Amino acid sequence: MLNAEAWRPTVIRAPLSAISGRAPDPFERLFLLEYPKVVAIAYRVLADRPAAEDIAQEVFLKFHRSFNPDSERASGWLHAAAVHSALNVIRGERRRAQRETAHALDRSLTAGSDPEHLVEAAEQRREIRRALSRLPERSAAILMLRYSGLSYAEVAVAVGIKVTNVGTLLRRAEEALRKEVNRATSE
Amino acid sequence: MRHLNDGTLRRIYDEPLAMTAADQAHFDGCVECKARFNGIADEARTTATLLSVPAFDPNPGAALASVRARIKRDEAARPSRWYQRWIDRNTPRLRPMATPAVAVLLAAVLISGVAVTGVAGQLVRVFQPRQIVAVQVSPSGVPSNLRLDYGQVKWLPEAPNPQQVADPVTAHALSGLPVLMPGSLPTGVSGPVSYAVVPHATGSLTFDAARLSASAAKAGVRVKPMPAAINGSTLVVSGGPALLEAWGLSGAQGQTQFPTLVIAQTRVPTVDSTGATTAQLEDYLLSQPGVPPDLAAQVKAIKDPSTTLPIPIPKGFATTENKVVNGVQYLVIKTALGAGVVWIKNGVIYAVGGQLTSDQVLAIATSLH
Repeated sequence: MLNAEAWRPTVIRAPLSAISGRAPDPFERLFLLEYPKVVAIAYRVLADRPAAEDIAQEVFLKFHRSFNPDSERASGWLHAAAVHSALNVIRGERRRAQRETAHALDRSLTAGSDPEHLVEAAEQRREIRRALSRLPERSAAILMLRYSGLSYAEVAVAVGIKVTNVGTLLRRAEEALRKEVNRATSE
Repeated sequence: MRHLNDGTLRRIYDEPLAMTAADQAHFDGCVECKARFNGIADEARTTATLLSVPAFDPNPGAALASVRARIKRDEAARPSRWYQRWIDRNTPRLRPMATPAVAVLLAAVLISGVAVTGVAGQLVRVFQPRQIVAVQVSPSGVPSNLRLDYGQVKWLPEAPNPQQVADPVTAHALSGLPVLMPGSLPTGVSGPVSYAVVPHATGSLTFDAARLSASAAKAGVRVKPMPAAINGSTLVVSGGPALLEAWGLSGAQGQTQFPTLVIAQTRVPTVDSTGATTAQLEDYLLSQPGVPPDLAAQVKAIKDPSTTLPIPIPKGFATTENKVVNGVQYLVIKTALGAGVVWIKNGVIYAVGGQLTSDQVLAIATSLH
């Protein structure tokens, strides 16, 4: 027999406020809630952990300078800023090849893998990101927001489209990416 | 009712629970929509592989400390802008044109003309489960230390690395799967909830008769010669992501704990082959050493092996029962210690289990949202 009253699990979050014993301010609350998503978006685009963390922190700094953390549009703004900032990086970056290879060889991240395989995997990721940088901005943004784990409703808010259109645009973006990858590998 | 459009089918793959009752009813009875859904799901899996990145568990606490320090430095360096910040912080609506990032977004929305293409798949789908069946396995019949080398295994780009995460937001962000909650929990099951995520992964196995012979000789077992159709062909396995939620793991550290309830979900795995067919693979692999004859007989008896996922049930330790609730087939597994239920819906395999009765796990399974 199920007990309807006994179920609600307690999810513990906000470790900083627990340590300091004070209630988190609105910016801190927003940060702790949204940082995992913002950094996941930047990381999915860049495939580079330190660069993704830099982008995520820059996005929150820009937000803090200009906006109210209680705004209902805060999350959408953060997600949009993260994906576009990261896409700008892969479009303009000149030193990506060296840095990603160095990242791939970071043994602390992937202990036990052989270096040749890691370099090969890094090259594959670099090729995909080059293809991504050639996609139309909106397609690339929808693709990366969704594959970073955002729900269709969140993608719709970040890109400013109806939630019912996300599936169609996502599907087109997937096809466009595959076409770019195929074109690059056949050249 | 008209067929579901591609956008709706694409959403079903990502958010199967977001489907309306009318769409679900149409989908369940429409062979054409299911076939289109499979094509769309394939494309999504390919994209997930293309866009996969190594696992990474972010640290919001450290990042917040770093951002706070930079905010402090900024404020010290630019004291004259306090009034501007005050106005900005107290403006109830965001001002989209004020930041370059949002201007870029606005420009992006104006861009049109999305390239659409379709490239026919060169691989043959040999396995994509849509239903499940229990197969009885005798625990004593499975040799635990027999490892045969069937060929070269590669991960694209790397083997999946499960990671434990602290909260449902991160779990959702990392897995892309919805964090499911039961409609109610039985007495004795309570929070906090632990989460684990296994990322999407693609691996390949290229069969190699010479390597198999060598490993069989080393293990001292006789293997059936590898047929020419299988030798040299490659299987591409695509699985995950998977998300696990566990209740009852919050006790003292250092003690072995068993969760009181686990909810697991994963996208159905797929296996594609460059040459060998499902029948050839089944015939060959089931006749190899290490596969008990009674298990082989049960798997061979499955009518459509390319779409049926066999769930091994240890003989003597568990019993199974099939239940149908709202058109979905559930495999209920009962043991002396607890019960579990497994089902497949809209391309996702779900499992609920714990130290509960079969009625309790079925009630949880049918109330997930």
